[in-house]
Amino acid sequence: MTCFLDIRGITKSFGKVAAVSDVSLEIARGEFMTFLGPSGSGKSTTLYMIAGFFDPSAGDIRLEGRSILREPSNRRNIGMVFQRYTLFPHLSVAENVAFPLRVRRRPAAEIARKVEQMLALVRLEGFADRMPAQLSGGQQQRVALARALAYDPPLLLMDEPLSALDKKLREEIQVEIRRIHRETGVTILYVTHDQEEALSLSDRVALFNHGRIEQVGKGRDLYEAPRTRFVAGFVGHSNFLDCTIAAHAGERADIVLPDGSRLPELPIDRQAPVGAAARLMIRPDRLRISSPAGADAPAGIDAVLSDATFIGETFHFALTTAWGGALNVRMPSHTLPPAGHGVGQRVRLSWAPGDARLFAE
Amino acid sequence: MTLSHAAHVPSPARPRRLPAGLAAVTPAFALVAVVFVLPVLALLLRSVLEPEPGLQNYAAFFASTTYLKVLGNTFLVAATVTVATVLLGFPVAWFLAIAPGFWSRLLFAVVILSMWTNLLARTYAWMVLLQRTGLINRTLMNLGLISEPLPLINNLVGVTIGMTYIMLPFMILPLHATIRSIDPSVFQAASLCGASRWQAFTRVMLPLTATGIAAGALMVFVMSLGYFITPALLGGTSNMMLAELIAQLVQSLLDWGLAGAAALVLLVVTLAIYAVQLRFFGFGQARS
Ligand SMILES: Nc1ncnc2c1ncn2[C@@H]1O[C@H](COP(=O)(O)OP(=O)(O)OP(=O)(O)O)[C@@H](O)[C@H]1O
Ligand SMILES: [Mg+2]
Repeated sequence: MTCFLDIRGITKSFGKVAAVSDVSLEIARGEFMTFLGPSGSGKSTTLYMIAGFFDPSAGDIRLEGRSILREPSNRRNIGMVFQRYTLFPHLSVAENVAFPLRVRRRPAAEIARKVEQMLALVRLEGFADRMPAQLSGGQQQRVALARALAYDPPLLLMDEPLSALDKKLREEIQVEIRRIHRETGVTILYVTHDQEEALSLSDRVALFNHGRIEQVGKGRDLYEAPRTRFVAGFVGHSNFLDCTIAAHAGERADIVLPDGSRLPELPIDRQAPVGAAARLMIRPDRLRISSPAGADAPAGIDAVLSDATFIGETFHFALTTAWGGALNVRMPSHTLPPAGHGVGQRVRLSWAPGDARLFAE
Repeated sequence: MTLSHAAHVPSPARPRRLPAGLAAVTPAFALVAVVFVLPVLALLLRSVLEPEPGLQNYAAFFASTTYLKVLGNTFLVAATVTVATVLLGFPVAWFLAIAPGFWSRLLFAVVILSMWTNLLARTYAWMVLLQRTGLINRTLMNLGLISEPLPLINNLVGVTIGMTYIMLPFMILPLHATIRSIDPSVFQAASLCGASRWQAFTRVMLPLTATGIAAGALMVFVMSLGYFITPALLGGTSNMMLAELIAQLVQSLLDWGLAGAAALVLLVVTLAIYAVQLRFFGFGQARS
């Protein structure tokens, strides 16, 4: 079985800088895939190679089993919405949407019908005769979306299309994009450096770092089972504590914390020798606060509460370990004991097995 | 449809009052009044008063086939020069806008330097190139492409070649400003939409640069209409342009009345062309 879009080991260097190195990815038909990653990690470059604006230095890109690298971008039949507003400023909204059909010399009746259909899809029915300069940023991106979908491309690329919009508008259009994805069944490759956007929109996320993909998977997988320290740090909030490997067996290791306390059998990302430095990672919402060392106290870390903030549904606690390590805890307000926790209080932090992970340095 | 629509963002009606900064431009207005308006008025008066009151100078101008031929020459050369500068200047302006820093700065320097070089020096340089025994004719004959020297000088061909070169910067500079103001990702969008290079050029590039082309063309055409030095040096006595005719009427024939009439015809034509340009491309919107 061949997948819909097959990216095979593509690399792109600009002079000595490798913007993208050896990226491979398989995307199914109708999938919503997001490229997430920090600035300069190669997301746009990868997208531009698929669009045909850059030629890969190595590797191949296959769409429905056929390599598309030989074809110029105007023959690839791919839709794209850009970060910047790229509507044709001299054409009306309707003519912008009609543009891809006019250059394909489709009959006038078909064009008129399609333009109407596309403007309805992006909910801009009354705007056909406006000029782009008379539209808000959000409206311009909707028109760009309509233009990119007007020729029924099997693949739609979106390079941070909402990054110039304010938060409220962004969320509104995200909902629209999800609906349009459902209604049209188009395969979408979406670039963003906003993890919330990535997690809420897509079926799968490819997390980029330094021109490579660190991990591909459902947002939940990236959050629950980050394969590298970078993934753990980039997706969701995390606590990291320095520690040392005390014993190693298979995919688990025992560690010693700076105060000498030992924690057994934690999952670790890769092999590391005894004595090597590592990082212990626990999500702030997976830590539980209980009273300090007693006979029935759970295994965990002792710390002192240094700050408590109430943020509506959740409480944020900042804690400091005996050796000065910083930790954050979030818990739903309703789970707190009525007396709450006071600043300066000594507490024991514990977690369920599997919620703590080790990353070798 | 014109670009002015795209550029117009509806603005609230403003109350009518004297524009700020009027005082600052008063000296310039005064200067224009003294060195431009007054002499033009004087010439206009002489054209209807000398040698006696009446329109006989204008009648004489339009009755003479010689003078009408000069008028025709003037338009022919100005139009050819305008078309030639658009065709030659567009690629240059485009290259200036997209070329990597070093090359675009180098080419820009060449354009500006050629503009700053003395006009007479540049025109004499063309005389050297265009002569019967000049570089161009000798090269073509050595290559065996022609057996007789081409008549490239002392005629309208020479005038057109020389003026095209001299007018090129006036086309390149406004066009370059317009092209540079276009976001290049618009062309990437056009390409992904399926537009071939040619379609992207005719459907996106040309409409978006129309104001720049119009601004450059107006500048070149109007300047060419009244140009004197280059036609005088590279042109022939049998095929004059209007500015040469006016100079001859004043200097050799001392016929100020007829010279004034010719000058006024030129001015009216120029203003008419300017009005047409304003009508179609708006005012000062080369960079929208
Ligand atoms: N045309 C180019 N010439 C030279 N270097 C480039 C070019 N385009 C991108 N790069 C470099 O390639 C690397 C990856 O850039 P890219 O634009 O793909 O990052 P990105 O992940 O899209 O970042 P952002 O979130 O900021 O858009 C960067 O280091 C960038 O400087
Ligand atoms: Mg980018």
